[in-house]
Amino acid sequence: MRDWVRPLLGMWAIAVFLFLFAPIMAIFAFSFNSGRSLEIWDGAGLSAYASFFSNGVVHLAIRISIYAAIGSAIIATLFGSLAGIALARRPGKWQIIFVALLALVLVTPEIVSAIALLIWDVRLGESWSFFTNGLVRLWIGHSLFSTAVVTLIIRARMAGIDESLEEAAADLYAPPFRRFRQVTLPLMFPAVLAGLLLSFSLSLDDTIISTFVSVAGSTPWPVYVFSAVRSVLRPEIAAVSTVMFLVTLFAVGVVALVLRQSGSNARDITKTLTGEYGGNSRA
Amino acid sequence: MLWILFYSFGYKPDLYHSIATDRLGLGQYQLAASSTFFQTFIGTLRISLTGTALCFLIGFPFAYWLSVRVPPSRRPIYLALILIPFWTNFLVRTIGWRILLAPSGIFAGALHFLGLHSTALEVLDTRGAVQLGVVYNYLPLMILPLYVALDRLDPGLREASKDLGAGRVRTLFKVTIPLVSPGIIAGLLLVFIPLSGDFITATVLGGAKGNMAGRMIYDQFLIAQNWALGSAMAVVLILLIAAVILFFGLIAIAGRHIIRYRRRVELAIAV
Repeated sequence: MRDWVRPLLGMWAIAVFLFLFAPIMAIFAFSFNSGRSLEIWDGAGLSAYASFFSNGVVHLAIRISIYAAIGSAIIATLFGSLAGIALARRPGKWQIIFVALLALVLVTPEIVSAIALLIWDVRLGESWSFFTNGLVRLWIGHSLFSTAVVTLIIRARMAGIDESLEEAAADLYAPPFRRFRQVTLPLMFPAVLAGLLLSFSLSLDDTIISTFVSVAGSTPWPVYVFSAVRSVLRPEIAAVSTVMFLVTLFAVGVVALVLRQSGSNARDITKTLTGEYGGNSRA
Repeated sequence: MLWILFYSFGYKPDLYHSIATDRLGLGQYQLAASSTFFQTFIGTLRISLTGTALCFLIGFPFAYWLSVRVPPSRRPIYLALILIPFWTNFLVRTIGWRILLAPSGIFAGALHFLGLHSTALEVLDTRGAVQLGVVYNYLPLMILPLYVALDRLDPGLREASKDLGAGRVRTLFKVTIPLVSPGIIAGLLLVFIPLSGDFITATVLGGAKGNMAGRMIYDQFLIAQNWALGSAMAVVLILLIAAVILFFGLIAIAGRHIIRYRRRVELAIAV
């Protein structure tokens, strides 16, 4: 083969990787900037981390983020798992509608979902003060998208599990709940865990919905960072970002490991991690 | 979502309320279509179409390289390397570009060093910066579906095409691209739809000049507190997105028919 294409493609790939990593490296490097402004390098130092660890507002923001992520991950996993099982096991006429609905959630531009959520929160908040609680709003908002993702993950997993295993349990006189707890749940557990961690990190990183629905006093960390963009960017922002980046990376790494242990191949893992089951679901 | 539609017919009653719907009308749409906002919608379309095209042009060779040239055992590592930026917070990645593009930042230094550019770099807070930012932010969303599609493609098909005498370019256009077209469509949609509604990139990198529709909606909802106008803008944005997808979808379908027809004619002549 006349091979001038191969080195060219290789160089292209290196360029793409450099492009993808340049800003992340910049954030990482500039988190050690000891100057007052993020963009202007003024000597190396850990002052950004020091001010991050002593800044109560940032701590609160991160705490809110974590509460929001835990809550919405639980909601999304619960609803998503049940919906996923139903889709895989009891297909019917409504299935098409339901899958279309899921696809709609996945393809709606996030800003549109965000304003819809804001409108609902405010309207419902007039009658039930429950919906004016910042954390509740974040739970609902974040679990919307991740429920759809979890549903698709669980459905794909359940489609791969032979139903006769559950039937066998039924033949052996296991009542429905016991059947679920001792047969179905252990079999689908890797997918449940993956869904849980995935929705956790989706929520942890969400900026758009959070910006719209969050209430003063319970702003998650991306919203805090976003408000800093509009005023002054300090190196502290880079320090927070680096720490949260490591947290997210850890969660995603665990998901990949779990999926791998359960025998998925790289393609499935990629699809799961990108939430890309929606558009061309074929389980 | 229907509430957005409903609110878009309402109006802003006074300074202290964001929405009223006792009188409904199309006034907000007139406002949303007025020249300043209209310019932004056009600008948004330009940014999102160019951005989607650039993502494809950058992403396709890369996905091809990953699925064809890299041995399968090493692919997970490279995939992980793509997923790391993807899982980095969107906002944080974008702020990273502010550091790189700063007037006296790293890029300016590099260009200065190469003797290409001597004065301070003035990319930040322009439309160009937003364009770069969106291409960067949505590139992984293009690469991943393309990779999945290319990876599924049997390498034997490409070899068969070469054995039958087709050149490299012909194989690419007649075999590879038609077979991965579902992946291409998925990638284009996955990039185009969120990109059109993006307001973060425009806010972080765009300054006053690089405005986008998403940011107008954000401003109307959270700063100007005019929910009616914001809703109208959101409806316009959705309609624009749908129209663009429909337009290109129709072109694609028509194009496919024309190609099929031509092939039939060619065959008929050959016979």
